[in-house]
Amino acid sequence: MQPVDDVLSRYPEVRGNLISVLHEIQSRYNYLPEDVLMYLAKKTGVPITRLYSIATFYHLFSLTPKGKHQIQVCLGTACHVKGSQRILDELKRKLDVEEGETTKDMRYTLDAVRCIGACSLAPVMVVDKDTHGNVTTKKATDIVKKIEKEG
Amino acid sequence: MATIKVNGKTVTADESMTVLAVARREGIDIPTLCFHEGLGPYGACRLCVVEAESPQLRRSLVTSCTLAVSEGLSVETETPLVAASRRIIFELLLGRTPDSSRLREMAKRYGVETSRFRAAESDDCVRCGLCVRACRDKIGVAAISFAGRGQKRRVTAEFGKLSEACVGCGACANVCPTGAVRLEDKGGERTIFLKNNLIGRFPLVRCGNCGTPYATKQFLDHVASRNSEQPRTKQGGLCPECERAHYAEAIVAEFSAS
Repeated sequence: MQPVDDVLSRYPEVRGNLISVLHEIQSRYNYLPEDVLMYLAKKTGVPITRLYSIATFYHLFSLTPKGKHQIQVCLGTACHVKGSQRILDELKRKLDVEEGETTKDMRYTLDAVRCIGACSLAPVMVVDKDTHGNVTTKKATDIVKKIEKEG
Repeated sequence: MATIKVNGKTVTADESMTVLAVARREGIDIPTLCFHEGLGPYGACRLCVVEAESPQLRRSLVTSCTLAVSEGLSVETETPLVAASRRIIFELLLGRTPDSSRLREMAKRYGVETSRFRAAESDDCVRCGLCVRACRDKIGVAAISFAGRGQKRRVTAEFGKLSEACVGCGACANVCPTGAVRLEDKGGERTIFLKNNLIGRFPLVRCGNCGTPYATKQFLDHVASRNSEQPRTKQGGLCPECERAHYAEAIVAEFSAS
């Protein structure tokens, strides 16, 4: 559990920084594995139920492994009225996953999000760190094809 | 001390008291689900709302369990607005827990017998957090907590599994206002269920005198670890009844010796 110890060494006060600590741990493992949370609880004295409570409360945290690429389709008001549900449906069909799920080959995780603050570009989708605006179903599948090629 | 008005009656109360405590002292009934004297204010169930007004507070609905007494405060506990609020709260609660007899009984007194709301999944839990708070704040174990948010919020042990920290004391079942936490002692074994999820399963320790199964080993160890030794008690091994008898005999023996 070296990554956990590394993160903890930078937080002298863990209880008040649980969200940041969990966030950093998740970025190391790409999700929050059960044994890692158990280790964190033992090491810090924070009850495991407290960690579980936080990890299940925030959408940001995941207790299941995420895919190599994260695809998020915005379903906020502006994107919704511009037909983003159809983009999500198309990606669900193409990737053969439901909302919030990861493809079997662990390459893609598809999520719906509620507004990312780029309403002028609606409908919007975010792939890893790139935001794509004025997305159509065609453009969405092209973007996925492009990362598929790049690996 | 401060002078406040409760339903028009002038009373004095210490500033450390809540309006709920004062009202109950004055014999005024205010319904609550998430309040327990041993656990302090929480303000989750909203049933204890009253209309309050003070020099600092514009007339408004406030949960009386979290409202501290202050000079010049005036509260009304049964106005049409209060009754209407409680009715809608009862309806919302019944939408999720339609089968809770305790809740139905309380709601009936406000004329609420059916609910216009229906949750996708029903259970007996009203998310008052009493079990979570008792376990964490009083027992000091934190074997259960809330998980998820919104409609998916629920009380559970870690990862929805059997709790590792649970000592089987049963405080959660004891404080639960709706019986959603079920504790069963059967065949020398204690089980604690939340809905259909098993939280803990423990063999019970039998009393060294009368043989009645009375507590879990984990609980007795937990108590021992948090208490200093008591001079007159027989260390362990006796149920509360036999312990009381033993304690009484010890005191009698002490006095007759001196």
